[in-house]
Amino acid sequence: MKDNRKLLAKMWNYRWLYLMLVPILAYYVIFKYIPMYGVTIAFKDYNVFKGVLASPWCGFKVFNKLFANKNFWHAVRNTLILNFATLLVSFPLTIIVSLMLNEVRSAVFKRVTQSILYLPHFISWVVVAAISVNMFSVTDGTINMIVERAGFKAIPFLSDNTWWVVTYVICNVWKEIGWGTIIYLAALTGVDESLYEAAYLDGATKFQRLIYITLPSIKSVIVTMLILQISKMMTIGLEAPLLIGNKKVLGVSEVISTYTYRIGIERAKYSDSTAIGLFQSVFNIIVLVLADKFAKLIGEDGII
Amino acid sequence: MTTKKKLSVGLVINGIVLFIIGFICLYPFLNVLAYSMSGYNAVLSGKVTFYPIDFNIDAYRQILGKTQIWLAMRATTIVTLLGTALSLILTIFAAYSLSIKDLPGRKAFTVFILFTMYFSGGMIPTFIVVKSLGMYDTLLSLFLPQAINVFNFIVMRTFFRNLPESLAEAARIDGASYMTILFKIVLPLSIPIIATIGLFYAVAYWNTYFDALLYIKSPEKYTLQLRLKSLLFEGELNNSGANVEGIGTQVMTQSLKMATVAVSTMPILLVYPWLQKYFVKGVMIGSVKG
Repeated sequence: MKDNRKLLAKMWNYRWLYLMLVPILAYYVIFKYIPMYGVTIAFKDYNVFKGVLASPWCGFKVFNKLFANKNFWHAVRNTLILNFATLLVSFPLTIIVSLMLNEVRSAVFKRVTQSILYLPHFISWVVVAAISVNMFSVTDGTINMIVERAGFKAIPFLSDNTWWVVTYVICNVWKEIGWGTIIYLAALTGVDESLYEAAYLDGATKFQRLIYITLPSIKSVIVTMLILQISKMMTIGLEAPLLIGNKKVLGVSEVISTYTYRIGIERAKYSDSTAIGLFQSVFNIIVLVLADKFAKLIGEDGII
Repeated sequence: MTTKKKLSVGLVINGIVLFIIGFICLYPFLNVLAYSMSGYNAVLSGKVTFYPIDFNIDAYRQILGKTQIWLAMRATTIVTLLGTALSLILTIFAAYSLSIKDLPGRKAFTVFILFTMYFSGGMIPTFIVVKSLGMYDTLLSLFLPQAINVFNFIVMRTFFRNLPESLAEAARIDGASYMTILFKIVLPLSIPIIATIGLFYAVAYWNTYFDALLYIKSPEKYTLQLRLKSLLFEGELNNSGANVEGIGTQVMTQSLKMATVAVSTMPILLVYPWLQKYFVKGVMIGSVKG
């Protein structure tokens, strides 16, 4: 009893803070947790007129149909291809550019370069898609003009499946590489200067210092970032593939998010579309937990 | 002596490579501007690279004369202003309350928020909720359902936690309420992080295409990105746009398209340099300690 009253008295002290949390609670319940309950329609024959609660249950019918669907597996495959291809290029490149920026001695040059590199991050995908046409079009794209001037045949960046993957990766790397350096640069400022001085006095070359001091000191950030990115392999934004893609490359540009959109919104198959989302969420959580276990196994901090 | 010289050569090469990377990052922007301001003979002959040829601003005159663009601009401005204000208030409230260490229930509440990062209802269940609240085809649907970004919440909470505690403690002893402390002490010290997170929200609202695609039906409520998409990729400009005949239309369209891109991106490019000095620091603080 007394403890309870004490707790209540303590909570009264914090009444303003709880008051601030009321709208937050309402927001999360309405827009995040009620939709979470809404995933039950993946196990229901959803009927628009009956709504989420009253629609009849149908067990795993929707999932069985989904897993037997070729298009679904194509979307899964394409999602993994695009994500892995992007990761393969952007991950090492981001680290390299961070290390290069870290070496710059002139503060002005560093600041200007950083500002320019961050800029594409703030541009919408619609604009990036418009720019990609300028750059990659077969008839008058900047890159193909250079290619043709060098005596080669124009490359079908936007209309050939394989080349389109390259285009997608380039657009993503262009947009996010600068922004990605922020976290590494932050980690690099934390490296102990005295280590460098000691190594310098011992006659270590610049390259040796990079390999034996710099990289080990940001190793944990690198591992954490890698795990975070791998655990997002099944998640892909809808805007990039939808806007850069076109009808000709639908074979590679149709990913989970665009497929979910087409089925759910354009064809109004709510249950099917929700089932895909649930599949994705569950997959993500499993990979995240595994990645976290793995990180702890190799002696790094976990991420959960 | 030799090592010193070697080092500086390495530094110069490093600088040159970074300069090239920077140029590659900037080139598409310059290309857009160059196209939008070039005469159509230059555009047609494919001579335009990163500076305008036969400079003129006809494309801008045309695009700014279109009501569609102004309507879209207005819708997006409303969403960006209201959305950023709401997002900032909610994020500050959440981040500040949950940065107070001995608030009973703090842990549970934090988990309640963080959990949404890993598991979500997904596109359709959210769509159903938004629709059943009567927000379908309203501008409200473009900011209310995504008002709080968990990442931004984490960054801001980390910032608040790292503020010196002594000031707030002194105020508590003087009998100030938490509301007073937030507004009189914490917020004035938090201008950099508020500017940073505000910029993130504003840019996200300005740039969002998907939410508008999902929730907006009436053309007069089209946001800028939605309008841009239909102008650039669905050939709206060809039908209703330039009154130049034949081949001129086609070329004019390219300049017109690029002028549209430039106009719609301009607001971001204008605020970017002013807020840039804040956000690098702000994000660094948040990401290292978070």
